[in-house]
Amino acid sequence: MPAVLELVEAVRRADTALGLLQATQALAAASHPEGAACLVEILGFNNPGAAVAAVDGLIAIGEPAVDTILSNIDGYNYGARAWAVRALAGIGDVRGLPVLEDALGKDIGPSVRRAAARGLGQLRLAELPEDERRATGHRCLQALLAGCRDGEWVVRYAVVVGLESLAQALDAEMAAGQRQQLIEALGALHADPEEEAPVVQLRAALALQRLGVPHG
Amino acid sequence: MDAGFSEQTRPAAGDPITEEEALRRLRLTDDPSAQYYAAWWLGRNRSTHPEAVPLLQEALRQRRPRDPGAGVEENAVARNAARALGKLAPAAVQAIDDLLATLEDEDHGLREAAARALGELRAEAAVEPLLRRLAGGPSVAGAQQPGTPRLMEPCEALLEALGDIGVSTAEVVAVIEPFVQHERPLIRSAASRSLLQLTGEEHWGLQLVELLQHQQLQVRHAALMDLGGAGWRPALDPIARTLAENSLKLIALRGLVENNCRAPEPASGLAPDASTTAVLEVMDALL
Repeated sequence: MPAVLELVEAVRRADTALGLLQATQALAAASHPEGAACLVEILGFNNPGAAVAAVDGLIAIGEPAVDTILSNIDGYNYGARAWAVRALAGIGDVRGLPVLEDALGKDIGPSVRRAAARGLGQLRLAELPEDERRATGHRCLQALLAGCRDGEWVVRYAVVVGLESLAQALDAEMAAGQRQQLIEALGALHADPEEEAPVVQLRAALALQRLGVPHG
Repeated sequence: MDAGFSEQTRPAAGDPITEEEALRRLRLTDDPSAQYYAAWWLGRNRSTHPEAVPLLQEALRQRRPRDPGAGVEENAVARNAARALGKLAPAAVQAIDDLLATLEDEDHGLREAAARALGELRAEAAVEPLLRRLAGGPSVAGAQQPGTPRLMEPCEALLEALGDIGVSTAEVVAVIEPFVQHERPLIRSAASRSLLQLTGEEHWGLQLVELLQHQQLQVRHAALMDLGGAGWRPALDPIARTLAENSLKLIALRGLVENNCRAPEPASGLAPDASTTAVLEVMDALL
């Protein structure tokens, strides 16, 4: 039996939380595409430690894991969905864009929306042809701008992080108008008198500072 | 630990409503379920409407002596009203006397909600009654009520309120300290949090960090919330490593940023300092 299948078998046999964690870490460390389906399954086991390891493993596998993740998004378990979105965010493959847009705009789980917001800032745009890069960056920006109004502080926090990394990814590419929109959105989050979470304002201040924008 | 995460779940009947509608529903004294949702709504949305606090005070006065045979819906309304008043600080300081009266109620759940609200309002007038309720120590106030899983007093809430209020006299510390030995880890966590807030002494923080390794997830959750509540920055790495959901770690880390008593950050203004930035970077990685 090839080594990766033995590792999958060890995950199946694990009958304690710790055993599952260790088997998952071993499978993740192999970062073999044939382990992806099993790693995706682990996201639904409600074992945060194992899920973290599985996400790391999926990110290490990278692009070959994307189809498996996309075709196994769990519509009923938002814990599992959040981990899947985190894996997509970490891989940064643009095939994940529709899932990330949809998740930030519509998902009922704040943990899913926050993972999506972060992911929208870290798609690997540099690999795309120029016109596609522009169009994709535009879609990421629009989704994040809409996310600024999310009702949960942690999602707004993630939107700030997403906007900061999107600005860095596009930078020179970004049309002046778009960059202006992005900076204004960060400024509004920073200065919003209605903001209940000072941590969101502080994170926005940090983002503006890193982008070289005077504020305050 | 506090009731924070149980309250994140919206009560049923949760259509989006306006502030006007919430105030209207809170006046419906013959419809406790409408009032229940309205009271919650006003707290959740941090209403600043001038009628919000007086109406919540009225709702608090609707409470009744506990009658095991009858419904206790009025008390459920009062409980939500107390919680909401805690969230409306500082506007709700005018409700402190009502909350102090509620702290003497026979209803355990109402005393708990009142204690938390008094803590959030930093009501120094509550220190004496809180101490009085805890004075018997773990074997009296902290003894289990026969036939229920509850303790004689809502000790977690009482202990945490003392920490939040922040009156750090030798008497307060002496009353809290025995609870660090309580048989229930959640009470140990609450007591350590309070002492950490009041004294800033490292060993109380280390007690909480130790509880982050507890085999029960519920205890790890409590220790996360308590470290966040105390804003104890040395817990940054242990929090990041805890086996728990990222959502709860993020709430705890938000607390490290916002509740850092020694170096309060301005809500807006300059970019965060290096220590705050370090917390934010750990948060970023957990999203």
